[in-house]
Amino acid sequence: MNLTLLIGFLIGCAFGAILFLGGASSYRRILGTLLLKDMWIIKLMMTAIGVGSLGIYLLDLGGLANMSIKPAYVWGIIAGGAIFAVGWALSGYCPGTCLVGAAEGKKDAMFTILGALTGAFLFSLAFPYIEDILIKPANFGPATLESLLGINGIWLAIPFSVALLYAAFFVLKDHYD
Amino acid sequence: MERDSIISWKAAGISLGLLLVLATALVKPLGVSTQFVVTDAAIAHQLDPEFAEDNSYLAKYGAKVNWGVGYGWMLVLGMVVGGGITARVFRARQPEIDKGSMPRMWSSAFGQSRLKRILACFGGGLLLLFGARLAGGCTSGHMISGISQLALSSFIFGVTTFTVAILMAKFLYRGKQL
Repeated sequence: MNLTLLIGFLIGCAFGAILFLGGASSYRRILGTLLLKDMWIIKLMMTAIGVGSLGIYLLDLGGLANMSIKPAYVWGIIAGGAIFAVGWALSGYCPGTCLVGAAEGKKDAMFTILGALTGAFLFSLAFPYIEDILIKPANFGPATLESLLGINGIWLAIPFSVALLYAAFFVLKDHYD
Repeated sequence: MERDSIISWKAAGISLGLLLVLATALVKPLGVSTQFVVTDAAIAHQLDPEFAEDNSYLAKYGAKVNWGVGYGWMLVLGMVVGGGITARVFRARQPEIDKGSMPRMWSSAFGQSRLKRILACFGGGLLLLFGARLAGGCTSGHMISGISQLALSSFIFGVTTFTVAILMAKFLYRGKQL
């Protein structure tokens, strides 16, 4: 148990360091990506997913991947994703990068954290009312492309990973006017 | 060159991908947004235990699960510590444009008002976490970890989020000179 906590802490330290060093807590990078001008953040994410996907499904071949698949309740995810997206474009932060921004000493990031704690609290108040409408219906459970297509995930992860890395390294270009 | 971040997107992307694989091998994938609820639940249990236990969402956390201080909580704490230490060590190499509490791109489009920026961040943060909890994850849990695991839910989240965020950003910056 204590070892798990230590591992969590060390992985978090590396995560925070990578986000800072890679410019993920930078407003102009996030908004530049959302305005489709500066592709830095999307290329960073596609690279991470490309490496992560291949690595996780290689681990899975040896039964070593402790996967955690979130259930696919379509309406709640679409509604939640849309609300999240408006907050993302407004603040220029996401829940992880506002922590890093605040650790850098950025006051706008600290106010994003305060808003985030408030939003999570409001959701806990709303949860009993929206559970039956948005979370229980159209819930396909923890489905993956592997379980849906009935193909071993590594055969999906390899082409997916190659496509993402190719797009990040060779296709996407910055567009400044 | 001075616009570039301290490490390239390639270096950051590859190391983030490897970190995700390591986390998945040792414990489980990366995630952040749950910990905001864990924190709220801990505060609510202190201020008004009856209310907290009555709420079906907050009641999941609290004293009975060791205040939610597990792998995920330590990961979030680590992000603050690791991000903070790295920021202090490498401050001199951070591009000037990325420093400070008022992004230059924001102020050139929306003015110098600190209150305006703070309100947008508070409101933005509120929507971020309301949305993330409804969807079951955020950029790290759904987009990075979830899509890497080829989860259907995370593809839905990724497509919705990018579509709406691009539209919102275009709307906010309509007619503005970049």
